[in-house]
Amino acid sequence: MKAVCWMGKSKVETLTVADPKLLNPHDAIIKITKTAICGSDLHLYDGFIPTMESGDILGHEFMGVVEEVGKEVTNLRRGDRVVIPFTIACGNCLFCKKKIWAACDNSNPNAHLMEAAYGYSGSGLFGYSHMMGGYAGGQAQYARVPFANVGPLKIESDLPDEKVLFLSDIFPTGYMAAENAQIQSGDTVAVWGCGPVGQFAIASAFMLGAARVIAIDRLPERLEMARSLGAITVDYSEEDVSVLTALKDLTGGIGPDACIDAVGLEAHSAQLQGTYDKVKVALMMETDRPSVLRQAIQAVRKGGTLSVPGVYGGLLDKVPFGAAFGKGITMKMGQTNMHNYMKPLLERIEKGQIDPSYIISHRITLEQAPEMYKVWRDKKENVTKIVIDPWANAAA
Amino acid sequence: MSSALKEKPYAEEVPNNSPASVILNGRYLPPPEDKEGRLWVRTSALIQASADDLYAMWRNVEAAPGWQEQITHVTVTGERTSHWVMQAGEKTIEWDSEILADEPGRRIAWRSIGGDSDNAGEVIFEEAPGGRGIVVTVLQAFHMGKLASAWETFTGRNPKQAVIENLRHFKALAETGEIPRTQGQPHEDRGFIGKIKASTYGEKVPTPSGSN
Repeated sequence: MKAVCWMGKSKVETLTVADPKLLNPHDAIIKITKTAICGSDLHLYDGFIPTMESGDILGHEFMGVVEEVGKEVTNLRRGDRVVIPFTIACGNCLFCKKKIWAACDNSNPNAHLMEAAYGYSGSGLFGYSHMMGGYAGGQAQYARVPFANVGPLKIESDLPDEKVLFLSDIFPTGYMAAENAQIQSGDTVAVWGCGPVGQFAIASAFMLGAARVIAIDRLPERLEMARSLGAITVDYSEEDVSVLTALKDLTGGIGPDACIDAVGLEAHSAQLQGTYDKVKVALMMETDRPSVLRQAIQAVRKGGTLSVPGVYGGLLDKVPFGAAFGKGITMKMGQTNMHNYMKPLLERIEKGQIDPSYIISHRITLEQAPEMYKVWRDKKENVTKIVIDPWANAAA
Repeated sequence: MSSALKEKPYAEEVPNNSPASVILNGRYLPPPEDKEGRLWVRTSALIQASADDLYAMWRNVEAAPGWQEQITHVTVTGERTSHWVMQAGEKTIEWDSEILADEPGRRIAWRSIGGDSDNAGEVIFEEAPGGRGIVVTVLQAFHMGKLASAWETFTGRNPKQAVIENLRHFKALAETGEIPRTQGQPHEDRGFIGKIKASTYGEKVPTPSGSN
């Protein structure tokens, strides 16, 4: 089959590799009909996530049709249409029983690597480094899905792929970010980063009762999309704009009730601290560039909530914890507990409350994927979301 | 903490307090320290299953190759004795093992009684506070130098890590009926550096089958 492989930092290639096989009794093989490049794939592209190895198949947002099931898979059969959650969960450990699926104890075969690096191990993820399981990803024509009784969401209606594909990660991730923000009716919520997760966080914040959402980014196409959802936008790249001042001005001086950091470890900052982080990361004295996290802690109102769906990878420097303590804020974060959100959000799509396909800007083939990684990383061609049809041009 | 584990090969009486215990009289007990010639490992896992089932799974030594790395064959040779065969790369290691304490639903202690491996161990099954499952704690000792252990790390899996991984496999099998694996899935050629890293990633050690 054809698959998009990580071949080193800033090096991605579409190659022919072996087809996946059933390896365990609860496995299913999925023929992928649509897959996407996630913003967090750019962290892999840029070499920020350790234990990626040359040859690894990328991709964790995918859906398709069940091709084959293992002998213990009881709720799926060949031909079923399914969306696959990017976190792999066993369904039976203490964490799965508590519905903290992203903390599953049993789905990471390389738990020892993650324990060595972080002191704990989370669930396995598709296409996201050996430390996180080493599972082959879904930017391919087929994928093996473990614990298929637990994860895959069956699509019984005739909704097109593009409307349900983002249930695999970014829609639930944006929704959980809004839920983690503990929004009360009438709240003002600030969202840093208007990429796909930020967009869904904005839409979800309104669904959960926010009266005002303030969206912060620098790319015109994203800011325009945020305004189309009803958000007030702040372009931090404009010379006379200070985000902290803007957020005070827009909240009568108290700051937003909740702040959502949908940016994570590769934040850009025009200020001096941005250069400071770049230098420290280059010298390996810091692993992440946390300028959004710093700003969000400073901005959130006293007693407010900070929600972090953006990915962080390691050790952060100069995080104003004194302000966080002094204001008595609540922080909530983590990988998305996908399995809690897929069904309820599918219902919202079925009822027509939201059509997640609005964020798609590019539809491509597997062969075009390597080039599009670069285009998106460099923020060119007004990319908001890239969807891949792994069978387009398959005959060529 | 005089124990059967420290006195090899001919142990004194097995003490009432389990050597693998983490708590004694309300105090936390740290694991025994490594000394040259003897390595210790203590590890524990919280498992969603009954103590009786977990005990039965552990006690069924002939099924051990299904969840213990590199163990290829176990034969029961007597009421409390068994013969173990291990394949570590090119090397075949064989030894006999004897059960010293056997308390259904609670605890099993064992030691090797001749052959290529000099080891002793104990596993205890205890109810977690608050009914959160069963805490399975394993304490195992190996007569082995630190250099030999480092060599094993480089070439495959060192015995201490193997005990930790085996308990992880045991838990996955008990909770889900299978052991998670990625060996055998597609990828492009790993290249030179990727091949060197394979042993660090534990990829050179076959993941046990998860069945008999």
